[in-house]
Amino acid sequence: MDRRQALAGVLALFGAQVFAPLARAAGLAPAGVISEGAPSIQVFTPDQRALMTALSERILPTTDTPGAIAAGVPAYIEKLLADWALPEDRIPILSGLAEIDSRSRQDYKLPAVDTKPEQQDALLTLAMNDALPNGIEFFEAFRQLVITGYYTSEIGITQEREYLPVPGEYNGAFPYAQVNKVYSA
Amino acid sequence: MASTDRFDAIVIGTGISGGWAAKELTEKGLRVLMLDRGHMVEHGEGYTYDGRPAFDVPARNIMPDALRESDYFIAKHGYVQPSNQAFYNNDRLNPYDYEEGSKFYWIRPGAVGGKSLIWGRWSFRWSAADFEANKRDGIGGAWPITYDDLVPWYDYVEKYAGVSGSRENLPYLPDSQFQPPMPMNIAEKWMKQRLESEFPGRKMINARLSNMTEDKPEQGRTKCQVRNQCGNGCSFGAYFSTQAVTLPAARATGRLTLRSDAVVTNLEYDPATKKVTGVRFVDTKTGQAETVTAKLVFLNASTLGSVQILMNSRQPDGTRSHFDSSGTLGRYVMDHIFRVGVKGDIPGMEEFIEFGRRPGGVYVPRFRNNGQDGDVGFKRGYGYQGAAYREPSKPVGFGASMKQGMRRYSGWKFQMGAFGECLPYEDNHVALNPDKTDRFGVPLMRFNVTFRENEQRMMIDAREQGEKMLRAAGLKNVESSVREHVPGDAIHEMGGARMGDDPRASVLNKWSQAHDASNLFVTDGAQMASISCVNPSLTFMALTARAVDHAVKGLKAGTV
Repeated sequence: MDRRQALAGVLALFGAQVFAPLARAAGLAPAGVISEGAPSIQVFTPDQRALMTALSERILPTTDTPGAIAAGVPAYIEKLLADWALPEDRIPILSGLAEIDSRSRQDYKLPAVDTKPEQQDALLTLAMNDALPNGIEFFEAFRQLVITGYYTSEIGITQEREYLPVPGEYNGAFPYAQVNKVYSA
Repeated sequence: MASTDRFDAIVIGTGISGGWAAKELTEKGLRVLMLDRGHMVEHGEGYTYDGRPAFDVPARNIMPDALRESDYFIAKHGYVQPSNQAFYNNDRLNPYDYEEGSKFYWIRPGAVGGKSLIWGRWSFRWSAADFEANKRDGIGGAWPITYDDLVPWYDYVEKYAGVSGSRENLPYLPDSQFQPPMPMNIAEKWMKQRLESEFPGRKMINARLSNMTEDKPEQGRTKCQVRNQCGNGCSFGAYFSTQAVTLPAARATGRLTLRSDAVVTNLEYDPATKKVTGVRFVDTKTGQAETVTAKLVFLNASTLGSVQILMNSRQPDGTRSHFDSSGTLGRYVMDHIFRVGVKGDIPGMEEFIEFGRRPGGVYVPRFRNNGQDGDVGFKRGYGYQGAAYREPSKPVGFGASMKQGMRRYSGWKFQMGAFGECLPYEDNHVALNPDKTDRFGVPLMRFNVTFRENEQRMMIDAREQGEKMLRAAGLKNVESSVREHVPGDAIHEMGGARMGDDPRASVLNKWSQAHDASNLFVTDGAQMASISCVNPSLTFMALTARAVDHAVKGLKAGTV
């Protein structure tokens, strides 16, 4: 019997009128509330956080538009892993960061966070090519987090892309030459 | 509020059909109480996230996995996201079950407006053949009405609701009273021409949508702004919803009382007069139960919500519903079979792209068993909904080159999904669980609904024909997919209290009126005796307006 069934059974004994207090007593979380604000737990150690931050910027670097750090991607990733994702989703990220750091100490005699951007790119490339233990698993998960965090950020939506909340009219044969940036809503 | 007659009519449910019932009843002079189990959402101000970008919505508008699995594990099949979750049922708080071996996604709304806030808005008339199908095939019960009975009511609701589409003169997909269609894009026009020349008799037409392409200033509604924000509630009132359309009309009469947060548990009944004598509901905030009375009751709690209320309105010995003298209540439950997809790349035309985000694309109407083909191995048919589009490129790798690559759009792509008609089977049924009740004391619904061989064969054909059509039209990289067909997944569940002429074999008569209670009308999907392959809501609207007309005439004549 799962928790929902158990609760339904208990409630049946009392009838409808005691529902609300009983639900609170049963420890049910408020229905449907999305956690906001600071992460409720520290997913990363300070060193892991620094490396995760540096690598996010390597995935989506500052170019003619701001990069992942300016867009707040590291904070998004920590919040997501702390409160929005399932706990097991932290595992490939944390273990991937550890593998990258370990390989950095072997190849460059430095913690990964202290290496040059080109060296961090080389480490990420190893992960991408699955040349580190569980490298591809880390790379795909981390890349997806960075891309999602960036293109849903204010910078991603309004600077990297063209924010078009109310097109107003539809044109099914609009000249592609007139598209400057990918549209976002 | 107990035992008063402050109201002439009670409408249970505020969704697509309930909203129409309230509008029509109040406009005909009745004082109406409308009840909804969900919380209040006002037009405009209740659409918290309408027009807000992802960074301004909790969790960037991506439903957190943890919350999805704890609270929205059924709603997740129905497109729930943080910006619209307030319109959805919480699955943790409102459980139901399946019988062993079956599975059903009961995707429910959780707010006033019901599914009118979260629907797909594709709107089609059913055809004459749809209403004749059961009788012709000898499957399920014969419909007691014909297409012609509904024509004036389709006309009436379409003109008011605002339906966009193209006139096609197809006997198997009658035209509505249309506003101009949402245009096809250049790639869809190309495909239409290719597909129709390769497959004489098959058509690709504009989507038919309850999204307006012309303003209705008299209703305070503005045409679609092509934002693709429908699911968050549309402050422009561009698509049909209770909030934008029927609720303002009902309120304008001064005769509507709307009570949200009110879960109806059962109907009280007098066997001597064969009438519903009261509607019992529980206030979800206080837990207090109340009973209200009125001369007339419209039950519009959604297909299976209405069936649940009917089944829980039981005789004193607790066994049988007051409304089940036929023994068919809870039977012949159907949903469209769904989850066959076909896609491909459209070559060329890369100098063009879409500007704006339409609420719908194109439709390939049913072409099977329309009378011209021989035995195709199954009965009835299916249609496809689809669209051509270009999407942001998805380059691999990372770094500046990837970022640059994401600034381009792909070439044109096309995809479409099939919706197939499910036959009415007597043993596709729902029942009340005798051992488990919900937090309001209502026995849980227990589902035993499965798709059968006819439906499975139809989907195999839909997949094959879909691939064939896309290839013949000249698309590249054509692929198809099939995912588990779970009843309920199309959110087009119908049946359970079907209409029929014979009171021994149906719950409702041809006026959507209970055979067992002359003052009870059920005008949502529960009344349907078959399900066509086209989307149903427009037909629920027409049936509701028709039933109200009959009920109010009956009240005046003393026959209801």
